[in-house]
Amino acid sequence: MQTFSNANSGAIVLSLAERIIENRAYLSEIDGKIGDGDHGVNMAKGFGMAADRLKHRETTLSEALDTLGTVLMTEIGGSMGPLYGVMFTEFAEKLDGVPAIDAATYSTMLHAGLEGIQSIGSAKVGDKTLIDTLVPAVEAFDGATADGKPFEEALDALVAAAEAGRDSTIDLVAKIGRASRLGERSLGVLDAGATSCAIILKELSLGARARLA
Amino acid sequence: MTSKTSSSRKGGAGRSATTDPSDAIPLRYGDDPYVWACWLYYEDGMTQGEIADAMGVSRATVNSYLADAREKGIVNISLEPARLASLTIAQELKRHFGLSDCLVVPSDDNARPLIDRLGVAGAMALQKLVKSGDTLAVSWGRTVMSVGEHAEAQALQDMTVVQATGGTTAAFSYTPELCAASIARAIGARCVGITAPAIVKSGALRQMLLDEPLLLEQFATLSQANRILFGISSLRPNSTIHTSGFFDTVSLQDYLAAGAVGVVAGRFIDERGRPVSGPLDDRTVGISLDVLRRIGTRIAVAGGFDKVPALLAALRGGYVNVLITDAATGHGILRADGVTGLDARMSQRPKLAQTPSSYRTHVKKFLNNPNEVVEEMLDGVVRAHRDYIEPINGSHRALVAKSGPRPGKVGLVIGGGTGHEPCFLGYVGKGLADAVAVGNIFSSPPPDPIVQCAVAASGGEGVLFVYGNYAGDVMNFEMAAEIAEEKGIKVRTVLTTDDIASSPIEDREGRRGVAGNFFIFKIAGAACDQGLSLDACEAVTRKANLRTYTVGVALEPCAMPQTRRHNFEIGPDDMEIGMGIHGEPGVTRERIKPADDITDAIMDNIFKEMKATSGDRVAVLINSFGATPLMELYILYRRVAQRLAAKNIEIEANWIGHYCTSLDMVGASISILHLDQELTGLLHHPCETAFLRIN
Repeated sequence: MQTFSNANSGAIVLSLAERIIENRAYLSEIDGKIGDGDHGVNMAKGFGMAADRLKHRETTLSEALDTLGTVLMTEIGGSMGPLYGVMFTEFAEKLDGVPAIDAATYSTMLHAGLEGIQSIGSAKVGDKTLIDTLVPAVEAFDGATADGKPFEEALDALVAAAEAGRDSTIDLVAKIGRASRLGERSLGVLDAGATSCAIILKELSLGARARLA
Repeated sequence: MTSKTSSSRKGGAGRSATTDPSDAIPLRYGDDPYVWACWLYYEDGMTQGEIADAMGVSRATVNSYLADAREKGIVNISLEPARLASLTIAQELKRHFGLSDCLVVPSDDNARPLIDRLGVAGAMALQKLVKSGDTLAVSWGRTVMSVGEHAEAQALQDMTVVQATGGTTAAFSYTPELCAASIARAIGARCVGITAPAIVKSGALRQMLLDEPLLLEQFATLSQANRILFGISSLRPNSTIHTSGFFDTVSLQDYLAAGAVGVVAGRFIDERGRPVSGPLDDRTVGISLDVLRRIGTRIAVAGGFDKVPALLAALRGGYVNVLITDAATGHGILRADGVTGLDARMSQRPKLAQTPSSYRTHVKKFLNNPNEVVEEMLDGVVRAHRDYIEPINGSHRALVAKSGPRPGKVGLVIGGGTGHEPCFLGYVGKGLADAVAVGNIFSSPPPDPIVQCAVAASGGEGVLFVYGNYAGDVMNFEMAAEIAEEKGIKVRTVLTTDDIASSPIEDREGRRGVAGNFFIFKIAGAACDQGLSLDACEAVTRKANLRTYTVGVALEPCAMPQTRRHNFEIGPDDMEIGMGIHGEPGVTRERIKPADDITDAIMDNIFKEMKATSGDRVAVLINSFGATPLMELYILYRRVAQRLAAKNIEIEANWIGHYCTSLDMVGASISILHLDQELTGLLHHPCETAFLRIN
């Protein structure tokens, strides 16, 4: 059975932060079309702060995720601070104390993150939020595992579903958050949260995939 | 061989080239023959032939100049927005429901009651649709009666009008008899009644009546109807159908329970337009739905938002093929049936006028490090306003009033993102807010500083959180409230929802909080300072929120310090209505209008919700979004004061200036607080803050 090691995998969170910082302008631009244009700025700020605390340290993935979640939760504010903050601290909690992470643990982690988000936000699939990326991604991962696919392929399925979920938000009318006040004017634009969520899930899963043994 | 157009263009150029062409064009048109041609055509009203002579070119050249000028955007043909909207809605209703015709009256013309305007429109439709020799069945109702009142005699021959249902009590003024008679008179028709009650005591009695020769004859006429005019009744609780006496209440309940949403010619239909059966069916004397649907021209006249479900049902059921309604109702029907994209079509953006966001892409700002703007601002704030506020535990993200919190007093905590200065920190001080939590630009503070504020503001009697209704703020403040409760501090929350443009009245709780925050904070702060209980502070703050009405309009977007670029674009001739305070686009986009017209539109909206009567008192806030100068704010205030004076509403107090901004956005909002005695007292209660001082 394929697993990857929790120890020394904290670097995955650093590359996650790099991707978010790289996409700062892009995320702000798509947010500006229907939101207030600060998504990239705030995300980059939070992920950058977490990266500063993690740099030059060997940490486990669970430690790194916990640092990231705590920074987002306590320092960032907005709606993304609490939402992603909860997701990453839930991820961290489920990986804590697990030396070799297998597909089942990874799935438990994903579900805990999703439930954490759902416990503070009220968005459903189709509301044009990050949930449109996260839910299909988790389902695809579970589906692939249930079909007996190896961890590796389940991660590929997760990434593909996350990106398809992100793209689905183009044709959705926002139901939650500031963009919801625009009604149909929110059609034709990607949701910034769904986009950053796809970046996060992809980087996390590629990092895991590269470390599989 | 060149094409005709270009050869004639050549010829024209040749002819004018006999002199110097730049001499031929009067100086005021520059070097542009297109502008010249357009001026002569559209402004001077010359014919294309006359223009050809004046310009010394061929008529074909003039024609192509005029056509090209539209392509190039030199000429924009625009329809008055309200009319454009009703045309767009009419066209879409016709297409979506496969109607043979549709007439939509503009909604924003509040000069006359809707019933009258529908009556005029219905009369116009009758004039076009009814032909000599027709038999027109007529149902009953207020709108149908209005059509009769507005219809004019026409030179038609051999017309018959027939009542579509039996008669009713004359307790109301739009009975089937009166409606049919009124229309018959207007179009010079002979009028055939149905001389039986619309609803009789039993099915057996109905059968006996229908066997009467007179009724047989009347129903024979009804069966020959080739057109029918009818209204549509809603079954909503406030509908006139409940009071008209047409149906008894007990039977109505049966139909409602069976899913009826509307009534067409005395018959009940469900939301899909299917007949709903019930106790009255075999006691009703009148046209059946099947017969109605076989009539060639089926004209429904109805409007009003409460009728949307009933109208939609009638359209789905195919009972209507000519619809006469108003724009708001039409729009509601289309939305209810899932038609999207209408708003974009109604915004009338010129096709080519998507101007590149001007030659400059970056906005100039006073900046050092764009990533440090909030910190640097807060450093300035703390230095500037040290008389009123100080950091809690050294943090600039949580500021407490110097002489605010005290034992025995409910603490008031406000907060939100930055970029709205002087909101929120300008309203912290004695008599107003006790502490403020400060977030990033347009972004809620995280829970921690909010908790610090709650602790600092607490005087043992509980803490009131008052902040704008935004998803991020709600999440962070709720988390903070939980943590504060764990620390033994009782927390109550009032979300501000004063922006009446952000959501319809049915979704009042979903509205966002904007500049009206100013009034709501003031009232809450005064209540806390007067030593009222937490319950009482919360209750009066809620009241202030419910009685505060704000609408904003943006003319230009704002730019974030980090990007120094506009977040979105507002076209050169457009304005954004219903603007929030975060630079997010508004609810609709319209062509810019004179200041008084904009103010009137805002005040009309506010008056629609604010139930103020002559002699009432209000407080007025004219707020700049950041870049609109006082000069323009006073122009807005002038008109607000005129409108209030015309209703004999007294302005108790006014504030004009920067009170809740959105960075450098150009635009303004108007907020009205509808006072009562309690609120007036609290409004005048003394306070000492950086941006509001009342002694």
